[in-house]
Amino acid sequence: MIKVVIDRSRCVGAGQCVHVAPEVFDQDDKDGLVVLVDATPPDDIAQFASKAAFLCPAQAIRIEGGT
Amino acid sequence: MSRLRRSGDNKIAKSDALAVAGERLLDFIMSTPFPFRRTCPFDPPPQYAETRAEAPLFAVTLWNGRRAWVVTRHAEVRTVLMDDKRFSGRMSQPDFPTVTEARVTVDRNERAFVGMDNPDHDRYRRFFTREFSLRRMQELIPRMETLANGLIDEMIASGPPADLVTSLAVRYPSLVMSELFGSPYEDHTFIIDCAVARHGLTQTPGEAGSKARELAAYVRRLIDAKEARPGNDLVSRVIAEHVLPGSLSRDDFAEIGAMILRAGHDTTTNMIGMGTLLLLRDDSLRASLAADPSKVKAAVEEFLRFVSPVQFSPRRVALEDVEIGSVLVRKGEGLFMSLPSANRDKHVFADPDGIDIARDNDSHLAFGYGIHQCLGQMLARYELQVMYKAILARLPSLKLAVPLDKIRFKDDMQIYGIHNLPVKW
Repeated sequence: MIKVVIDRSRCVGAGQCVHVAPEVFDQDDKDGLVVLVDATPPDDIAQFASKAAFLCPAQAIRIEGGT
Repeated sequence: MSRLRRSGDNKIAKSDALAVAGERLLDFIMSTPFPFRRTCPFDPPPQYAETRAEAPLFAVTLWNGRRAWVVTRHAEVRTVLMDDKRFSGRMSQPDFPTVTEARVTVDRNERAFVGMDNPDHDRYRRFFTREFSLRRMQELIPRMETLANGLIDEMIASGPPADLVTSLAVRYPSLVMSELFGSPYEDHTFIIDCAVARHGLTQTPGEAGSKARELAAYVRRLIDAKEARPGNDLVSRVIAEHVLPGSLSRDDFAEIGAMILRAGHDTTTNMIGMGTLLLLRDDSLRASLAADPSKVKAAVEEFLRFVSPVQFSPRRVALEDVEIGSVLVRKGEGLFMSLPSANRDKHVFADPDGIDIARDNDSHLAFGYGIHQCLGQMLARYELQVMYKAILARLPSLKLAVPLDKIRFKDDMQIYGIHNLPVKW
């Protein structure tokens, strides 16, 4: 099991995370910045959360745990 | 001894690979004027692939005789763009590298957040992030479909033949931006003129500078008009949310608005033209997408990777001496990130010069990377998905009306694409 950690202070609202892992991330309607929907996604979704962390242009996503 | 090694104040450190195999090649490239010329209209200039094999970046001589670096590999482009501490993207600084003299005038006067470092960048960008969120852009899809189909109706009614660039590729993003932003549609030719003055390779500094000022002044007048009579559009919403409460000045909004208008009108146009041309050249891909439109989403990403319309941005200046790969970049030196080159890096994309919509291409860099990554990327993605789907569904017999050599590719622009696409059906 992984744990997803976000840092809103870094987010630039590019939307990459919602694009690749909508089960895990969303954007706040008020400011367009990242919102965590599921901090401990199931194994079949975890790979997309990891991909979002890699793609995030502002390094606002960190993945803890996992293999 | 290579030209790179001879130059006193910019030595390459610890670069055995360059010293042996790459030396003659890099010598040749240093003496080739930058920007390079394409030898195939569908591939970046061959120098990128040649140098990518030797080093992650190489030096070029610019129009003003200054040296700058071109970063060509995917990993190093990402590394530089995520490193705000050691690289600055502030366009107004004297050492910021450009491909033309005209662009210097534009950059020195850039006041939108595209030309800022943090913390200023994030503060200004966040006034606009909600306007381009994925959900907001998704909500525009039905309207995009109506606009795309309306333009195709008109093209069918008045043709064949037709120039798909003027009939669809220019008008469609203009219509979408007009509704989203709140700028009258009939102003789109003026806005495109201003974008071309910035993104061209042949303009004079006077032309580029005056068009930049004209567009900002245009948006400033639009802000006044929307303040007096608000509508359901970006300008009116940002006035209410950020201008009237006093957190964003009207003049700053005008500069940012000009940036949004230019970007929204120019880049999507190029991807519609080039993407349609790619479809017309590949019958099996086209048949596959027509049979299963759900594949168009992946095709859009692959076309973005393959075309990479933005040619000479992002750019940075090193804030200190930095070693990239095994090459030493000195404090104050300029760097161009080559997105077209990074998107053909075989270490990330197997058989990179082929189009494969089944590949994992999520990490393509067509929208850049780092804090400046394209704010309008979701808008562009949905616009392209909608238009490609509409073309595939509505124009199954679409074909080129002229030989390929009559297509005029945008070798005269900093954003690549095609000037014309004569078609019949």
